[in-house]
Amino acid sequence: MRRFAVLVAIVALAPLVVRYPALETQILTFGLLAVAFNLLLGEMGFLSFGQATFNGAGAYAAARVLIDAHAPLPLALAVALAAGAAAAAAVGALAIAGRGVYGVMLTFAFNEMAYYIAFQWRDVTGGDNGLRGIPRPDVFGIALDDPTRYYYFTAFVVLLAFAAVLRVNASPFGAVLRAIRENEDRARTIGYRVRRFKIAAFAISGALSGLAGGLYAELFRFVPLQAIDLDTSTNVVVAALLGGIGSPYGALLGAAIFVVLSNSLSHVWSHWPLLLGLVFCAVVLFFRSGLWGLVDRGKRRAAHV
Amino acid sequence: MSGLIEIQLLNGIVQGMIYALVAAGLTLIFGMLDIPNFAHGAFYALGAYVAFTVVSSTGNFWLAIAVVPLVVAALGLVVDAFAMRRLARAGHVYQILFTLGLVLIVQETIVLIWGANPTSIDVPAALGGGVPLGAVSFPFYRLFLVAAAALVIGAVWFALERTKYGAIIRAGIDDPEMVDCIGIDVQRLFTVVFGIGVGLAALAGALILPIRGGQPSMGNELMATSFAVVVIGGLGSYLGAVVGGIFVGLTQAVMTILYPAASEVAIFAAMALVILIRPQGLFGKR
Repeated sequence: MRRFAVLVAIVALAPLVVRYPALETQILTFGLLAVAFNLLLGEMGFLSFGQATFNGAGAYAAARVLIDAHAPLPLALAVALAAGAAAAAAVGALAIAGRGVYGVMLTFAFNEMAYYIAFQWRDVTGGDNGLRGIPRPDVFGIALDDPTRYYYFTAFVVLLAFAAVLRVNASPFGAVLRAIRENEDRARTIGYRVRRFKIAAFAISGALSGLAGGLYAELFRFVPLQAIDLDTSTNVVVAALLGGIGSPYGALLGAAIFVVLSNSLSHVWSHWPLLLGLVFCAVVLFFRSGLWGLVDRGKRRAAHV
Repeated sequence: MSGLIEIQLLNGIVQGMIYALVAAGLTLIFGMLDIPNFAHGAFYALGAYVAFTVVSSTGNFWLAIAVVPLVVAALGLVVDAFAMRRLARAGHVYQILFTLGLVLIVQETIVLIWGANPTSIDVPAALGGGVPLGAVSFPFYRLFLVAAAALVIGAVWFALERTKYGAIIRAGIDDPEMVDCIGIDVQRLFTVVFGIGVGLAALAGALILPIRGGQPSMGNELMATSFAVVVIGGLGSYLGAVVGGIFVGLTQAVMTILYPAASEVAIFAAMALVILIRPQGLFGKR
């Protein structure tokens, strides 16, 4: 609870300290993607390369209802959430047909499929040019035309979603996901319908990713094709791992660092992905609990003294 | 019109042989060594770029074909010895993640050394020209590619299934401790298999270079298709990878004639269909 309070305080104060509301909004939407990914890997132990599929589904769905139906923003975000959940349930149901590596490969391949669908279906997605001209309606009479206002709107939605993830993790449902991670056969033998739990976890992760996609679409009032490409999926994986998959806070931290670094370092040194790859490999080899693991360990050590 | 369809189908087989080479390496490394190599596409890209350097500095394509698999396989062996074995106990997820980091490193290193722009080389003079096919002609180099790939795929299969060394390798996979007890260095055998797998991908990269040229991201694009190939053929099945590769190449070619917009999506739709009907793949064992 205290951690969440600290998070809320940081999110509330961030734009007052550093005045880059658009960048900070991006941290929040990308952070939500990382947290959604972490639900699958950190809790259930499933490595998904499909997060951009769900993100893109949400982004395009929200953009479409905003453009075509002039839907109010909360409704558009609800549509994004539903689209993300539906895409993830479908991908998940197929991906878990194969165990282990097989399933990972399937999420990877289906993301590529989703990318090609978006690329070809120009009437709906704008194809290579992206989807432009997304309106930003007022929410309950409040105009969100100013970047800082939109930041606070996004912050409200993302924190709500984050709280929901904490709740899910603490619930009996979350415990079953961890049981599946630790020993799938045992979970099945005890009597849990593992398949259903897995698909449900996919749907929840997809719903959050879709929501992140909807918020992202409204941030730039534009959906680029990158929203659904494999690079976005792998970026989510990299960010969450750097932050630490032991906790949703770690995933969020990793996303924040990733967005800040990719925005600042790419101007300084265009080959920064090389550095990222080296650091990432080092993390995988030596610090599997990520940055948050280091923070946690430091705290525990301090508590012992 | 007649002739064009045949050419398109032949092109499908050419592309299919590239998929077969790459997927055969992928399935060998996973099926035999239990290592999921998500950087396999990066080794393919490296193969193309190393071939580019060899050809542009010596002008000798044959030298490139001979040297590239060895150079890239040597790199693969460093990765295997340094990281993959260390991560074996941590599990597949961390092996995949490491290879993901490797993809970032390799792709950016390619940009650093060779630049972000596409590179290309001419078809070697000895393999230039075309073979008449009805009213049109088919590039001779592409036929050479199909023959070379088939030869290598067949040779690797023969070595693994019909020679004493192959028998030792297969025995080492079934029961490493027992083979170790007989006095055979199992790790060294596995290293050889890893090298062969990576070498196949690198060779595919070198062979495709005169046709498609090289782009830093070429490996990423291939990776998803290769996964579809091994899922369709059956993960771990060598024959499945080869048949799956040719099948996917042909599917792409046929769809390019019938409905070009769906030529990529069709592969993954086929993959989804295989999962629903025959989850172990066409040649996979359950």
